[in-house]
Amino acid sequence: MSNKVILSLNNISKSFPGVNALQNISFDLMKGEVHCICGENGAGKSTLIKVISGAYQPDPGGNILFEGKPVSLNHPYAAMKLGIQTIYQEHTIFPHLSITENIFVGMEITKNGMMRKAEMKNKTSEVLKYLHSDLKPDQLVDELSSGEQKIVEIAKALVLERKVIIMDEPTSSFSMNEIDHLLGIIQKIKDTGIGIIYISHHLDEVFKIADRITVLRDGRHIITCNVQEIDEPQLIRYMVGRDATAFYHREFYQPGETVLKVENLSGNGVNDISFEVRRGEVVGFAGMVGSGRSELMTLLFGGAGKSSGKIFILGKEVNFKDPSNAIKNKMCYITEDRQSTGLFLIHTIARNTIIANMVNTKRLIVNPNQEIKTGNHFIEKLGTKAANSQVLVMNLSGGNQQKVVLAKWFNTNGEIFIFDEPTRGIDVGAKQEIYQIMMNLLKEGKAIIMASSDMPEMVSMSDRVMVMRKGRIVGELSKDKVSEENILELSIGGKKI
Amino acid sequence: MKQSIVPQERRKFVLFGKGENSTVLMILVFFFVAIVFVQLISGAAAGKVAYPSFISPVNLLNIIMQVAAVGIMAMGMTVVMVGGGIDLSVGMLTSFVTIFIAKAIIDWGIPLYAAIIMVIILSIAFEAAMGWIISRFNVEPFIITLGGMIAFRGIALLICNSQEISTKGALAGLKKNLIEGAKGPSGLSLTIPIYVIVFLSITIIIWWLMKYTKYGRRVYAVGANRNAAFLAGISVKNIVMSTYALNGLLVGIAAIMLLSRVNTAIITVGQNLEIDVIAATVVGGVAMSGGKGNIWGTFIGAILLGSIANAMNILRLQSEWQFVAKGIIIIAAVTAGAIVQVRQAKVQQLKQIK
Repeated sequence: MSNKVILSLNNISKSFPGVNALQNISFDLMKGEVHCICGENGAGKSTLIKVISGAYQPDPGGNILFEGKPVSLNHPYAAMKLGIQTIYQEHTIFPHLSITENIFVGMEITKNGMMRKAEMKNKTSEVLKYLHSDLKPDQLVDELSSGEQKIVEIAKALVLERKVIIMDEPTSSFSMNEIDHLLGIIQKIKDTGIGIIYISHHLDEVFKIADRITVLRDGRHIITCNVQEIDEPQLIRYMVGRDATAFYHREFYQPGETVLKVENLSGNGVNDISFEVRRGEVVGFAGMVGSGRSELMTLLFGGAGKSSGKIFILGKEVNFKDPSNAIKNKMCYITEDRQSTGLFLIHTIARNTIIANMVNTKRLIVNPNQEIKTGNHFIEKLGTKAANSQVLVMNLSGGNQQKVVLAKWFNTNGEIFIFDEPTRGIDVGAKQEIYQIMMNLLKEGKAIIMASSDMPEMVSMSDRVMVMRKGRIVGELSKDKVSEENILELSIGGKKI
Repeated sequence: MKQSIVPQERRKFVLFGKGENSTVLMILVFFFVAIVFVQLISGAAAGKVAYPSFISPVNLLNIIMQVAAVGIMAMGMTVVMVGGGIDLSVGMLTSFVTIFIAKAIIDWGIPLYAAIIMVIILSIAFEAAMGWIISRFNVEPFIITLGGMIAFRGIALLICNSQEISTKGALAGLKKNLIEGAKGPSGLSLTIPIYVIVFLSITIIIWWLMKYTKYGRRVYAVGANRNAAFLAGISVKNIVMSTYALNGLLVGIAAIMLLSRVNTAIITVGQNLEIDVIAATVVGGVAMSGGKGNIWGTFIGAILLGSIANAMNILRLQSEWQFVAKGIIIIAAVTAGAIVQVRQAKVQQLKQIK
């Protein structure tokens, strides 16, 4: 391993309206090292790699050096030309093309405008051989497993002689064998002098593979150290430790009767889920991305079919065929992605507010003036920043859009609220407002189920926390046991993995 | 907490939703003014001052008569497109309906009203079947209705043996002038056939349906965001299917009225009609992506496109020019609509910051 720095970032900041995603980050990558970036969801890892790969422009003030020379990564293509390849969490692959075609797409070897197919194929099979892979250059990518597809992307980086490879959660959908295989490949390719930036939630992988580790938290650089100098509990502490101001100080209420009881529920990718929710309490569902939290929420709301198990609302067994039954049974579902599953962006606030309550009314005729009044009523009640309820939702900011989603459900007079990521993409001020609104619900005796990957939110808002992993509840933490360390340990499988 | 900045809404009856149709309305007015101006100029050049015949009551009624069938079909297309779909088969379905009725009453000896009821049920069934496939199997409506269009053409040709059928005036009742007695001494004769009344009534009914009923709200919601609509308790599949079924009913009615005007059932009756129908709909401000648009916009769009052909006739221009004019107006109307929308968005965003 040579000690030559290949890429170095100095004082890089990136802010979005209302959010400082990165603040004065300095980071360097050596030739032939695996540099892991650790941090919770929202710590700024993705923003950082987007800056490196040219997808985001950093704020003025910092600089980026590539092989000692200052560069401007103003476009993904500029980063690619320098030899930086990003392998994203989601596949960026063309399923209907062969492995060779995928590797050379946009970079075809040509002579007089004609493609040199044989040459491309030879190069591909050479690299696949080097990687000890049994894949054939002509195979369609469609037929490969997601693990094999990742190998194609790595092969692409080698064929095109990349100098830096960024991997964002490469193993998120992998089986155990595939993970080991991939880690082996990474060990091998770093010997060729490629610098690798590796991002993963799975700390065991990090410890297996990293040469150095950088920890980010809330967009700030916390520490960079060699892997030998740190152990897992210490790393977790660096990842979660934060000043108490990020927490919301809520009041706790004496829980009332049980409103929702779930017994051995399975389906939609979750298994054997049992829990209860009482009036006046928040039951948190924690777990890493892909642990099945959101899938469970959709299942509870009737958005997907259950395969077995029972759901009781106020002691009565219910069987939701679709969400309209859930709404009639006083359930509300504030989804994770408000723009794609929560709002009608091209419609007015008023239209968005009344839509869910339509299943509760028998009248077939609607009154537009009444809708406008209802819309205005909730604008006032929730403090939405909009001139009136005739404003189109797409013209509102994230926090105000979330309030429109809340208005839609408050208008149904629901009792059980499912909040999936209640404050995702919302700035700090609006977050506090949303939390206050949730507290008001508890005060009125409603029950809240909250799924979130925002740790301070989970710790400060929940009465109890259920931790999920791979579609199952792996532990329940009572109020005195709820802490970031405990949640993180359960959700990544502790030291067992 | 924030002060309330919600102003009291004045209660008023708005026929045209807040500026939603102002762009297409402006284009229509501009077009009328331009034609009148051209008529006055050319009249003056010929040395006489004449009342511009383009905006005479007779001619205006003429325009409405000419657009009635396309207009009714555009109402159906609006419902389908607001719900996020599109229907390419309406033209050939029209041919099928006209041929079926003519054949039924002339060759098969079925009473007229029985034939009408039969064919309307068939028309609804065909459309509902396409809607069922589109909604249940989540396939592209463009492709399914393209298939429908080709199949309807085949069915229609099979029924008539690829020949034309004359209705021998059996549907003349629909063409009956309701105000025949009002013929003026100067030869001024106003014509309001029954089907103009039908056109206007259907426009009002569909406008009411889309604006004042739960069903209308749901169609808009499904077109704007299918997932959000599903999670808001709307049966998305049934709503989508129903928009096609409703379209089938309106196409059936429109086809009967078209037949009463032309008196001959032939495959070319509906040929390329879907182009005119979709054009009227999008000029009226209905978005191809769904969830946006309204009935009055479509109404104005249909009148605008209908008056182009009429104006070309009155100005004695080569009829080929009407395609050029239509094309330019479609492009201009949709582009202008997009520009206005961007501007409105900026204003609303500014208000929010303030």
